[in-house]
Formats: sequence, structure tokens, C-alpha cells
Amino acid sequence: MWSTFVMTLKTNLRDRSALFWLIVFPLVLSTLFAGMFGNLADSYEIKPIAMAVVEDANWKDASVASSFVDALSGKTRTSDESETPGAHADPGIHLIDATAVDSLTQARAALADGTADGYLTVDSEGGLRLTLASTVAGSAKDAMSSGSSKAVAIAALGNAIGLYNRTDAVTRDLIADNPQAAVSRSFWTSLGDTAGMTREIQLTNFKPDAMARYFYALLGMACLMAMGYSITAVTTAQANLSALGLRRTVAPLGRGRQLMAGFLASWLCAATSLLIALSYIRYVCGIALGGREPAAVIAVITASFMACAFGTMIGAIPGLTHSVKMGLTSAIPCALSLFSGLYGAFAMSLSELITRDAPVLALINPAQQVTNLFYDILYFDSYRPFLTTCGILLAMSAVFLIAGVIMLKEQRYEHL
Amino acid sequence: MADDSANLTDSVPAASAHCGEETASQAVRIAAIPDEGTPAANVNDTPAVSVSKLVKHYGDMVALDYFDLDVHQGEIFGLLGPNGSGKTTAINCILALLTYDSGTIRVFGQPMTPTSYDLKRRIGIVPQNVAVFNELTVEENIDYFCSLYVPRKAERAPLVEEAVAFAGLQDFRRFRPGKLSGGLLRRLNIACGIAHKPDLIFFDEPTVAVDPQSRNAILEGIQRLNSDGATVVYTSHYMEEVERICDRILIMDHGRHLALGTADELKDMIDTGERITIGTLDLTEETLAAVRALGFVIEAAYNGHELDVRCRRGEHNLIDLLGVLRAAGTNVGHLTSQPPTLNDVFLELTGKALRD
Repeated sequence: MWSTFVMTLKTNLRDRSALFWLIVFPLVLSTLFAGMFGNLADSYEIKPIAMAVVEDANWKDASVASSFVDALSGKTRTSDESETPGAHADPGIHLIDATAVDSLTQARAALADGTADGYLTVDSEGGLRLTLASTVAGSAKDAMSSGSSKAVAIAALGNAIGLYNRTDAVTRDLIADNPQAAVSRSFWTSLGDTAGMTREIQLTNFKPDAMARYFYALLGMACLMAMGYSITAVTTAQANLSALGLRRTVAPLGRGRQLMAGFLASWLCAATSLLIALSYIRYVCGIALGGREPAAVIAVITASFMACAFGTMIGAIPGLTHSVKMGLTSAIPCALSLFSGLYGAFAMSLSELITRDAPVLALINPAQQVTNLFYDILYFDSYRPFLTTCGILLAMSAVFLIAGVIMLKEQRYEHL
Repeated sequence: MADDSANLTDSVPAASAHCGEETASQAVRIAAIPDEGTPAANVNDTPAVSVSKLVKHYGDMVALDYFDLDVHQGEIFGLLGPNGSGKTTAINCILALLTYDSGTIRVFGQPMTPTSYDLKRRIGIVPQNVAVFNELTVEENIDYFCSLYVPRKAERAPLVEEAVAFAGLQDFRRFRPGKLSGGLLRRLNIACGIAHKPDLIFFDEPTVAVDPQSRNAILEGIQRLNSDGATVVYTSHYMEEVERICDRILIMDHGRHLALGTADELKDMIDTGERITIGTLDLTEETLAAVRALGFVIEAAYNGHELDVRCRRGEHNLIDLLGVLRAAGTNVGHLTSQPPTLNDVFLELTGKALRD
């Protein structure tokens, strides 16, 4: 049994076609994905907008507005400087790059020569006014549908300024009605709480990564391609499937032991090739696994077991030549990966549609389940979804192996 | 296994001289005479393979039709028949690979089943199609197939070395099969089947698509294995090969056992005594009719430049034939007279040539 295990390892490792499809192909495709989808990730990053700030007489009277704009620019104030309620900003979020100008004319000139996308002014009542260059406003409007980073930043900036102006107006009205409130610390604290009506919560285990889904779908396809190893292991052990199988069947080593050795070696090779792809995706392409790399290794072991079980079933089908079966190792992963979202936005939408409206189809798609394994690791707080997906894949494996064993149970054949 | 081989060699003293037909026949006769005084002789009394009334259908087609076979230990037994005659089916049934409808099969006196591992250890198979791993080297292939029979590496290593040397593959041990010629591939195929030193080896058409030089090497190798004590079952549709190396030959067609015996015994079974071929360009229809009218002529054919005459046994066939031609004024060119071949035997038994 050991010699069969070693032999299968050697034949797998020297099979150039398998090495290409299971190691080179995922690495090449990952590299292509990294190049193609690099801009996609960038589009989810908010980039600061170049903004001219008109520091005229109104501006000088509105110190609160000045603090607010500093906060939007990501400037932090020293502890001895006064903090403006409602003007807290995440120091990591930097909405504008502010450039001070002395007059409206200079601000317009900045817009005209393209050095600024807009300008901020303070009106006579202390309110902040945002003006955007017509080109920027137009492109932002178009871009809103595609969710570009500039459009998102402009929308966020508009909302922040609107909130500031509403808070400022309410504050002025309250102080006008009740001047004593201005000396109350709790009054100013409650103004800060108004902004706190919006609470930031973390929905996922890890920061969402738009690219990750494509890489996970790629792992799903690479995993299914690994079934070629076990297809070969089965066909070369069965007398009704190959001359090699005939020769091995005549030998005094039980067929079950030969098949078991072939399966284990194929599983090892499949898991190794998938681990190489995973490592490349994680450490070279920089696709996150939410700090759960050990779980990802378990995912690879589970997924490759399923792939080998699937290959055992296909390899055991009588009447199909080995070359046809090897053809299936490309055709099946390519077809199933369409429904797991590998081929771009359309496929991803299709995958979501199937998961939402026909969950059974998603459930029985091994490529989708392998993709889900990694998805579960990255996004869910709990390991329960991951373990559930592992269970689904193991159940699938059991079905494949039972079907394979039924087809392999014959010890003598009607035809050879 | 080594002891058994020694006994087999002792009990078949002439087995090393199979090239001479007379000696080969003696060897079979010696093996066939039981010497009950020694245990070794008792062992050899048990046929290596015994098949009785074997019937096998592929759907409506009869592949084996009450087929009988007895292979004695220590002999090279030839299964001769055209393609599709049932040779490979018979071997696959014997090896417990195929189901069959009825009949009994015993190997070394024991029933053969898919789990008869003790029996399988004593059997080697050289299949018709080359069955080796393209990703393994010559040496690794031989080592792997040997490991299925001899798990311990230390015991296996000398056997592998011996098989490499036996097949003349010393210079190619690190080559992969893809780099080998057809003849070398066939030799590798053989080395993989015999490395574990089996007592009984099945060679299923091992020389198909092999050049004459490699064919000679293969046939000599088989004779060497036999002289070392192995019983060989050799199937082929090449009558020259079977005639050259086999002690006994079974001719089969349509799954039926047609005739069994040594090459000489088989030839003695038929009327054909010799085949005379005469080169001539001016043979007339009348002369051809006169030739056909000769009492010893079984069949005569003329193709415009060569007269081919199949004759019954007779002392003066050639003289009488030339007399007819001379009387008709026919010019005679080259002339050959050949004793009957196994093809003639097959032709007479079935009415068709072996390679039709």
C-alpha cells in the first residue's frame, strides 16, 4: 500500500498537465485578477477632495466652522484648543484637502484652473456653503450609480456639512431662546450626542474586500480541477478502465488497499496544490483571510477531500475513456464556477440570485460551497457558518464516495 | 518460490533446449510422465492451468464455447488463433478478471478467484497493451509492479536489478517510457510482469508491432524464463513464433478448441505434406488443369507469375509436378518446396488462413 501511495505521489507530481492546471493556472489567474481588480478595491477607498476654503471676514467670525473644516481635513487639535461639538472626525477618514484662499475670486480661479474641485465659504449667518466645480458635480452625479470613490466622498462631505449647518442653526435658536443654556456644560455635551445618533457598528468579522470573492471563486475552481488526481488514481487501478488497472488487478494486493493508497496520495497532492494557490493569493496578492489562516488550511483540507471524492466517482464511471474523464475535470469546474461568480460582475450577480432564489442549487454546487468556505471565514463573526459549509462538503464527499464504491464494487467484469 | 523453480528445472531436464523441436517434444513427454516416487514430481503432476468446459458469452456472441485447456508445469504452451478467436478472453477468465457462464478453472490445482492472493503471487502477466506508468522511469516502473508482489524493498531490489538486466534495459533505467522505442517498451512491459519471478507467466501477444530484432530478443527471453523454471502461456496469431518457442500448441477459433499438440503433431494431423512454389510466366489454363488433376495436389493456384501448389504427403510430388510442366513445355524459373506450416494446419482445420 505504501509503494502504491508513493507511486501515485510520483506520478501526480510528474504529471505536467496536472501541475499546470493545479498550480500554474491558479497563480496566473490570481495575478491577472490582482491586476484587473486592483482598481475595484481602490474605488472602495474614500479619497480626499481638493477644496479651497475662503477665509474672508465671515470665516474669521465663524471659529466653529473653522474647527469643523479642520476636522474634515483630518487635522487634529491640541488639547488646549477648544473642541467643537459635532465636529469629531475619525482621524483615519480625511474627506478634504483644504487650501486657504483670501477671496471668492481666488477660490473660483482655483476651480477654473483645476487645482480645486470646489470651495467652502461661510455665509453671513455662520453657515457653511459647499460649491463644486461643474465638471466635478457632473461626473459625481454620473459616478453615483457606479459608486466611485469621489462620488462617495462628495456625498459624505455634503451630508457632513448639512449636519453641521442643522446643528449650528438649532444651537443658535436654542441660545437665542434660552441664553442660560450657553453656560451649561450638559447643553454642549448633548449637542455632541446629536451626532452620536449615528452609530458605527461592525457587521463582518473583517473589513469587506470586494476582490476577495473573485479569488475565493478561483479557489473553488482550482479545487474542483484537483479531482483529476483521483480520477487517474481510480482509472489506473481498475481492470475495466485501463491496461494498467488490469495489470494491477492481477497482483496480490487487494484492490481496496490500492484505491485507498491512490486516494490518500491524490488528496495530499490536491491539498498541497490548493495550499500553494491559497498562500499566493493571501501573501502575494494580499487577499485577506480575516486573520483566520488556520481555518483556511482546514478549509483547503476539507475542500480537497471533497474534490478527490468527486474525482473518485467520476473516475469509476464505466464506459468513459480516461481522456474524456480528464476533459470533465476542466469542463465541470468551468461550468460550476459560472454559478459561483468567478467570471465577473454578471456571474457574481447570478451567484447571488441563485443563493437567494434557488438555495438548493447553490447548496449542491461544490464550487459554490468551496467559495463559501473562505467567504465564511472572512465575513462571519462566528465559525458556525464555516463549520456548516464544512459539513455540507463532507456530506457531498460521502455521497460521491458511496456512488464511486457502488460502481467499483465489481470484482469481475462482463467485458474488459 | 526459488525452491519450486529448482524443482521444476530438475524435473524438466530438456527445458533449456527448446530451440530444437525434437528436444522440446521430449521435454513435454518427460513432463507428462508421472514419477510418483518423488514429491517434486507430484507437484508437477498438477497442471499449472486447468480449464474445463468454459463457456463465455458477450451478449449474443459466443466468446468461449466449451473451451478446454491443460497447461503442464514447466512448459511453454502456445494459444494460437486469429484475432477475435478468444485467446485474450480465455486468459482473462483464467485470471479471474472476467465473469463466465459455466465451466471450471483451476490454477496450480486451486480454484482461481479475485481474492486468491496466494495464487496471484505465483502468476505474472504481460498484457497485450503496454501497461506502464508514463511518469515513472523504467526502473521505478519495474520496482512498483514488483512491489505489488514483494513488499519488502530489500528483497525487491535484487529482483528489480535482475529484471532490468533480463530485459536489456540497463542503459535505459532512468528513461521514462515516452523516450523508449516500441521494442524497448515491449521489453519494459515484460520486465514489469516477470520481475517477481512468477511460476506461471501469461504473455498475451507480446510481440505485436515489434521490429524483428526486438522480437527475437523477446522470444529468447521467454525461452530463458522457461529454462529457469517458469511455466509460460503464450498467445499469438504469429504462427512462426508459436512454432519456434512453444512445446505444445492449442489452435483455437471462435472460442473453440480445434487442435492440440506439438507443432509436429499438429502438422501430422493434416493432409498437406508440402507446399511447392514455382516461378513461371507462361503457364496455360490447360497445364494448370493438368496440375490440379494430379492425385497428390490438394490445391493449385496461378497468379500470372507464380504457381502455388499445396500437396499431400508423398515421396515424388516435386518430380511428378515438374514432369507435367515439362510435358506442357512450360518454362520454369525459381522453385521452392516448404514443409507444412501451422497456417496450413489452421487452413485445413477451418477453411481459412490464420491471418484472414
